[in-house]
Amino acid sequence: MLEENGFVENGFIVNLSNAKNAAEVIYELSTILEMPETKGKKICLKLEDVSLNQSQLLSIKALIESMDCTLNFIDTNSEETKDSADKVGIQIIEFKNEIEVPEIKPDEKDFEVNHSDVLFENNEDHTAFTELATEEGLIEKKTYESLEVEDIIKTESDTEDLSKLTTLYLRQNLRSGQTITYDGHIVLIGDAHPGSEIIARGDISVWGVLGGIAHAGSKGNENAVIRALKLNGIQLRIANCYAKRMDIVNIPYIQRSASYTPEEAKIDNHQIVINTTFENKEK
Amino acid sequence: MTGKVLVITSGKGGVGKTTTTANIGTALARAGKKVVLIDTDLGLRNLDLLLGLENRIVYTIVDVVEERCKLKQALVKDKKNLDLCLLAAAQTRDKSAITGEQLKKICDELKEENDYIIIDCPAGIEQGFENATTPATEAIVVTTPEMSAVRDADRIIGLLESKEHIESHKLLINRVRPNLIKSNDMMSVDDVQEILSCSIIGVVPEDTGIITSTNKGEPIVNDEKSLAGQAYQNIAKRILGEEVPFLDIDTPQDLVSKIKKFFIDLLAKLGK
Repeated sequence: MLEENGFVENGFIVNLSNAKNAAEVIYELSTILEMPETKGKKICLKLEDVSLNQSQLLSIKALIESMDCTLNFIDTNSEETKDSADKVGIQIIEFKNEIEVPEIKPDEKDFEVNHSDVLFENNEDHTAFTELATEEGLIEKKTYESLEVEDIIKTESDTEDLSKLTTLYLRQNLRSGQTITYDGHIVLIGDAHPGSEIIARGDISVWGVLGGIAHAGSKGNENAVIRALKLNGIQLRIANCYAKRMDIVNIPYIQRSASYTPEEAKIDNHQIVINTTFENKEK
Repeated sequence: MTGKVLVITSGKGGVGKTTTTANIGTALARAGKKVVLIDTDLGLRNLDLLLGLENRIVYTIVDVVEERCKLKQALVKDKKNLDLCLLAAAQTRDKSAITGEQLKKICDELKEENDYIIIDCPAGIEQGFENATTPATEAIVVTTPEMSAVRDADRIIGLLESKEHIESHKLLINRVRPNLIKSNDMMSVDDVQEILSCSIIGVVPEDTGIITSTNKGEPIVNDEKSLAGQAYQNIAKRILGEEVPFLDIDTPQDLVSKIKKFFIDLLAKLGK
């Protein structure tokens, strides 16, 4: 299989099994890729136990590609790396010793990493990688993450049929400090500015940019949803689930755009997820 | 542990109360102190934005006062420094939602576990100001070297002096522009001090970095290179009781004026 892919003729195994974390992998890899003989080659990474997430793998891939090489396979023992490689479409292969392929392995002393050279100071901190990968357009921008609140005061679960609730229809912009609370669904035609609050027992639909806090299913109905032409709210709350806007996209102003993709937030597996594709459930 | 309660106030709006609160708070936390920042600007809250914590706020000070949550639940931990907490104001209410006594009760509870409680006071001298100053024992009056801001600061200092529980008040002169002072277009630090006859805790130069740091939600003290950041760092040190000389906020000069300054200083020394 390796030969079929032309790997052997024009490939390199880069053995980074000594690297302990993503920063070291990137550091070592960048020094190896600077060697002129690696130009245009197909790289095969031997990683062993380092666990890498999707954005880190994509950063590594981008680094390899920026040096005129291609990343063909990786060999790893880590379950996390296998899982993320699978998701970003990088092939995993177990290298057999009998294959004769040139192998590059950095010297032991090279692993005394000069930390001023390392791209990211804190190896535990994956946000730098995520930020980089997002900027490069390598991963889809995740805009919300769940907000953990200590001993949150939970509302009881509300099993009222959502289709039986009445709807409040508003045609205005909601400004900072304004609150709309309704015992049913709320439809807002206009923008909800940052600092505003919309609290509904049922669904919240905003025909405009949602920039403030929205709490759907405020009495505990987990089937409630929040929809908007653009979900830019600082926090989304459905029943007892809370999600905060990611810090990376934490910009205090709304980005105006000529066209919006409608977004819908709902609870899936006790977490708020954002959908931008909608299926017709009737089919 | 009994913490100190500090109020940052000014009278006039837009002179940098909130920026000062965020930066002094961050600097004190970086020095290893446990700090709680309280935003009392109900209805016009900004402190959360400056700290980049807006997306983490679930409960506010009004929820605590109206007993919808415990005080501990309403404290939002900072992104970087776990010794720094924010008690946010409610955006959808106004100043009448809390009273000074209620705020004092909250501060007394916070004092037990924190070194510093810093209250960000709203502009004006109405109920918001009364609320914010009630629990405080120390005050920092922020002003800029402008006539209007100095006049308002004078009024505020008068009000603070009439409050017995405020043991000391210090002046912070913000947005100082050495170039304008040199060309006699701006009041100098000494002028302001003379008008207000109040001791100065710090002088912060005008810094365009403040605008970017505000928009990013990242206090400027985290930027070691920034002059304003250093000024805030020094103010924090002075609050901690260290003696720190005032920052030389003069912008870099050409060689000729440097030599000139050297001789003027020398002559002044010889004159003494």
